Amino acid sequence: MLEVKHLSISFPEKERENKVVLDSSFTIEKGEILAIIGESGSGKSMTALSIIGLLPKDARVSGEVLLENRNLLDLSESERRDIRGKKISMIFQEPMTSLNPVMKIGKQLEEPLLLHTNLSKEERRQIVYQKLEQAGLKDAEKICSYYPHQLSGGMRQRAMIAMALVCQPELMIADEPTTALDVIVQEQILKVLKKINQEEKTSILFISHNLKVVKDFCDRILVMQDGKIVEEGTPEQIFYAPKHSYTQKLLDSIPKRVKRPEIHLNTPKVLEIEHLNVFYPDEKQGLLKRKKHQVLYDISFDIREGEVVGLIGGSGCGKSTLSKAILGLLPWKEGEIKHYTDFPQMVFQDPYGSLNPAKKIGWILEEPLKIQKKFTKEERKQKVIMMLEKVGLEEKYRRRYPRELSGGQRQRVGIALSLILGSRFIIADEPVSALDVTVQAQILKLLLQLKEEFQLSYLFISHDMDVIAQMCDRVFQMKEGRLYPVESGGNYGKL
Amino acid sequence: MKKKKILWAGIFITGFFLLILIVSFFYTPYPPNSMNGKEKFLAPCWAHWMGTDNFGRDIFSRVLAGLSTTFFVGISVTGIGAVFGTILGAFTGYFGGWLDEILMRINDALTAFPSILLALVFISILGTGKYNIILALGIIFIPSFARIVRGEFIRLKELDYVKSAKLMGAGKMHIMFVHILPNAMPALLSAITVGFNNAVLAEAGMSYLGIGVQPPDASLGKMLSEAQSFLFSAPWYVIFPGIVIILLILGFSFLSEGIGS
Amino acid sequence: MKFMIKKIITLVITLFFISIAAFLAFQIIPGDPVLSLLGMEATEGQIEAMREQLGLNEPLLIRYGNWVLGLLKGDFGLSYHYQIPVANLLKDKFPVTFALAGLTILFMFLSAFPLGLFYARFAEKKIGRVFQIINQTIMAIPSFFLGIIITLIFGLLLKWFTPGKYISYTESLTGFFGYLIAPAAAIAIPKTAMIVKFLQNSVLAQRQNDYVRTAFSKGNTENRVLYVHILKNACIPVVTILGMMIAEIMAGSIVVEQVFGLPGLGRLLVASIEARDYPVVQVIVIYIAATVVIVNGIVDILYRFLDPRIRVEA
Repeated sequence: MLEVKHLSISFPEKERENKVVLDSSFTIEKGEILAIIGESGSGKSMTALSIIGLLPKDARVSGEVLLENRNLLDLSESERRDIRGKKISMIFQEPMTSLNPVMKIGKQLEEPLLLHTNLSKEERRQIVYQKLEQAGLKDAEKICSYYPHQLSGGMRQRAMIAMALVCQPELMIADEPTTALDVIVQEQILKVLKKINQEEKTSILFISHNLKVVKDFCDRILVMQDGKIVEEGTPEQIFYAPKHSYTQKLLDSIPKRVKRPEIHLNTPKVLEIEHLNVFYPDEKQGLLKRKKHQVLYDISFDIREGEVVGLIGGSGCGKSTLSKAILGLLPWKEGEIKHYTDFPQMVFQDPYGSLNPAKKIGWILEEPLKIQKKFTKEERKQKVIMMLEKVGLEEKYRRRYPRELSGGQRQRVGIALSLILGSRFIIADEPVSALDVTVQAQILKLLLQLKEEFQLSYLFISHDMDVIAQMCDRVFQMKEGRLYPVESGGNYGKL
Repeated sequence: MKKKKILWAGIFITGFFLLILIVSFFYTPYPPNSMNGKEKFLAPCWAHWMGTDNFGRDIFSRVLAGLSTTFFVGISVTGIGAVFGTILGAFTGYFGGWLDEILMRINDALTAFPSILLALVFISILGTGKYNIILALGIIFIPSFARIVRGEFIRLKELDYVKSAKLMGAGKMHIMFVHILPNAMPALLSAITVGFNNAVLAEAGMSYLGIGVQPPDASLGKMLSEAQSFLFSAPWYVIFPGIVIILLILGFSFLSEGIGS
Repeated sequence: MKFMIKKIITLVITLFFISIAAFLAFQIIPGDPVLSLLGMEATEGQIEAMREQLGLNEPLLIRYGNWVLGLLKGDFGLSYHYQIPVANLLKDKFPVTFALAGLTILFMFLSAFPLGLFYARFAEKKIGRVFQIINQTIMAIPSFFLGIIITLIFGLLLKWFTPGKYISYTESLTGFFGYLIAPAAAIAIPKTAMIVKFLQNSVLAQRQNDYVRTAFSKGNTENRVLYVHILKNACIPVVTILGMMIAEIMAGSIVVEQVFGLPGLGRLLVASIEARDYPVVQVIVIYIAATVVIVNGIVDILYRFLDPRIRVEA
């Protein structure tokens, strides 16, 4: 149905071209789901944008994108507009920001019909209702009268899907449509897409960084690396008989469940929490009177030496609040938190926000040692170099600013920082969720390696079941501020 | 790229003014206040680049003198506002609480007054003169700096690197002034350039109204009000001081734009 | 609704603070107001009688109460300088400043939005950059200097109006507004440039948002994306600076009235400051501040109404 031939995309930069897609060719058949897998910078999103014609204005494109024997790249802007939204539609990663915040859902959904058809208002409304229901949203009339912020993330993404469907397109491009959503919602969205694909015979081009997500979902997979298609095949071929080494690397990066020896009950504890309740002060009522509301309820658990305890839960369940409470960053709490180690530390999710952008790496790593006032200048320097080496960074990084480092390198610095005072208990709050899959695998490996070397214990927070399964000895699930243990070896992939 | 050009334009214009300001301390073509009855209302010429006024004084020399007053007032006012505003904003932003609450209410009420109006009230109580103007405008500018710094502190104190520093055992002052303040600098610098412009505008306006800087201090605003009487016969008298004010403000607004990016 | 009530309460509280500040500020001034009223050669008896008459022998709190009650009733006290009630003095000044401010706002509205949109449309092209430099320069012009230049060009050279020859609204309404055009333009032009810049920045910032890409993906034209999708989003932040603009317009009118010889509040204020006529200063200050506060309150409510995200929370 759609054929891409020798597609190349580049951006002019000072002196030279920055090539983001190189001579790529592939086809999408009618009714097929094709997935393009790649990490950031692989060119997968640029490929998708070139098909729908939304590349940045300074992009240089060559090759052919054939739809119904017409080369889309040769069409005028107005001819391309006629195809956009009608024959090819697109849904995006962030459903909150991808919808116009000040326009009602109903108006946004009928817009493609307004642009591409002569249907009456009533007819348009009927189609919008029907598509909303197809996308799994009941009470379509009410939803149409809402603004985007009044819907949940999953509902917004369903509305986006309905919007992409109103003109019965031949091809729907889905650019990481599940990445910003909670796991449970992710599965629902995939189901909806699959259903629509079967009912409407709409082809879907599915862009993702996550091989595992597309395994049971698509008909064919393209693997892209540095602008090139390195491998193409059915899911079975890709997963069980990969030919290219990069595909193999991606497969290896999928976290695997590891069987670990059980921690003996006599092992000393590093952390003990009894009946912890945490509150947040409400918005001020009047000038001085403040009410509070409870966010964590009666939490008790402990962590032993050398143990990795996992904590899973959807966004907003109280995971991060718990970690802050444990580290004493929240004043509004009751109950007991006993630490048996010095300097409990934290590794943060966002490696961009956890390092002071105004300081060099060397300064950042040295600072805790300065605050402790126990070390000479030379000792501090040696310790910093040693710690950098432990996390796999060369000494020269001492003189760099955080912005000069990649995400993975920053996270290594973050880990080094958490260990530099000799801490033995670390809370890792979503430490890899902002990273590319191959980098993620490296960081997880590093964390396990350091655990052995320094006898560390982790409280490992994540929303990703696979990561938890690979890392943790014991797992708790958090739901609406309460903690529930998960049976060891239990199937928490389905929680 | 484009923003960089704007920054350079700002640096160039401001640098140029600073340069002639420094030169004017040591040398002006004529003493700014020396009158010459024979040379009244001379149009711009080689001897008098900007012409002469109704007393035969050299306008260029008077503009230079006025410029130094303008800079003096502008820098002092911004200095007072920035120093006290930063301290106030840092503490209220970082600690919050009832003090923050009260100060912000006062701040809200103060922003309701146009700054020139507040300055006029101060002046009507304190009396006119250069130092009273500086005091009045300086105090009036404190809240706007405090608000900006407070906003930055509230934003930055939630960031992970601040939490991380807390976990390392860093003290509150250390976190405020070593971790947060350097990262609040871009916003503060931008506010300083905007504040300088507002100070220059307020001083010129007040001096124009006759309730600002008083003789013998020269002021561009005062010159404009004197020149207005001779608008038709000696238009250069009004045009040159005016253009100097515009260029000065333009330079700083380019700076603030450039810094903002 | 709850928000409206809350807003009105904070508004009243702010006005209360302003009145206290204005009252106290003029209490700490050295010098006896009675002496200013009666002159140095007044006898003890006269002074005492005057004190009693003005209520100056009452405690501070009572005096404040009386003063506020007077304000609300339209009794603003006696002018030291003119020896007549302040209310009489202000009566024919209000309309001048009001008309000037109104005309200024009208000018700003009529010009800022078309210019802002034009600019946003061409911001990335060469003409947009030229426009940007011009706009930035206009922003830097002090309104009183612009007033002088307008007087020079349109008054003295082109003779479109006679500088200094103010026509009262009692004489001729058209003549009155005709004379106000020049001062209103002097205040409005630099402020318009400021709004244009803000609107343009806002449009360009909105352009970066994901929903713009979504709009394009539906097949929208460039113009439709700008006018249907971006414009409303971009205008919401602009509304917030409109409140601030009111304060700026008031400040501008104080100076510009002087340039054009308009007998408005600004000129009376300046004259009263020079004459140390505190009751007059006090009332004008309160009047201007109250106007700004109330307009800001309205703008705040408008803002809530425009932005559905906040509307629901409220």
